[in-house]
Amino acid sequence: MNNFDDELKLALRREDPSPDFTDRVMARVAELQKREKPREEAGWLRRLAEFFQPPQMRWAMAGAMAILLVVAGFGVHHRRESERRRLAEIAEGERAKEQVMLAMRIASAKLNVAQKKVKEAAGQEDRGLKTEYRR
Amino acid sequence: MQRADDTLSRAKDGDQTAFADLVREHQAMVFSLSHYFSRDRATAEDLAQEVFIHLYQNLGSIESPAHLKFWLRRVTSHRCIDHARKHRMKTVSVDDAPEPVAAPCFQDTLMTEALRRIVATLPEKPRLVVTLRYQEDLDPAEIAELLDMPLNTVKSHLRRSLVILREKVTRSLGVIKV
Repeated sequence: MNNFDDELKLALRREDPSPDFTDRVMARVAELQKREKPREEAGWLRRLAEFFQPPQMRWAMAGAMAILLVVAGFGVHHRRESERRRLAEIAEGERAKEQVMLAMRIASAKLNVAQKKVKEAAGQEDRGLKTEYRR
Repeated sequence: MQRADDTLSRAKDGDQTAFADLVREHQAMVFSLSHYFSRDRATAEDLAQEVFIHLYQNLGSIESPAHLKFWLRRVTSHRCIDHARKHRMKTVSVDDAPEPVAAPCFQDTLMTEALRRIVATLPEKPRLVVTLRYQEDLDPAEIAELLDMPLNTVKSHLRRSLVILREKVTRSLGVIKV
């Protein structure tokens, strides 16, 4: 430390502002508080209003759209799935019907054969009885 | 210290009298920093008021009386720099420099008046560094932390400013005691 430093310290010593400085600061603080109070009171209303203002509304709309898309997608999927199940049931029914028809055709053919054989057997028996009778 | 702690916590709880005490306690520091920087009493009072209003709005973040002092010096320094940038303050020659920031009283010597006038001619950052060094008696490391400035830059500002101040004082007064 030397004289020049001391001179500088003396030259740049702290000095007080005007005597009413603190009062003026406190008046501004009071003004600030007055402005903040109604803002706090109207806080909930402002937040509600703000929710419907562009930035928040955009998010809400985006959310609603996303939910709508998911619900619509689920609906379309559900409808397609029931349609597919209905067509599968119809196809299954058709297949069962065809199988029944085939079984009936086979049974009918078998009956025809059996009937033919019965008729032949009956014809032979008649011929045998006639021969025996002639004798 | 205990009393300062108590005042701070009461102010944080919304006690306006305690906040007024804080303003009274620190107004000389904040005002003088602004004053030696802005070279104008009215501007300095406006800047100091802004700093205290900012303090009122940020009281919750102040942790201790020491933190409060650091915070006030830091905010005042930044406000001064911002003000200078906004108003494009220019350094002036010694001849154009305004009169000393305080009305000289009988204690003021010619040297004091000359030094104040010459400090006012320094560029913004060196002026702030010199003011913090000699008004607030801070060491270069503390100034570096306060202004977010490298320590070597602070030291260099101080060294160069002292050379300029000595030269100008010698030229102005003719003699200098070292």
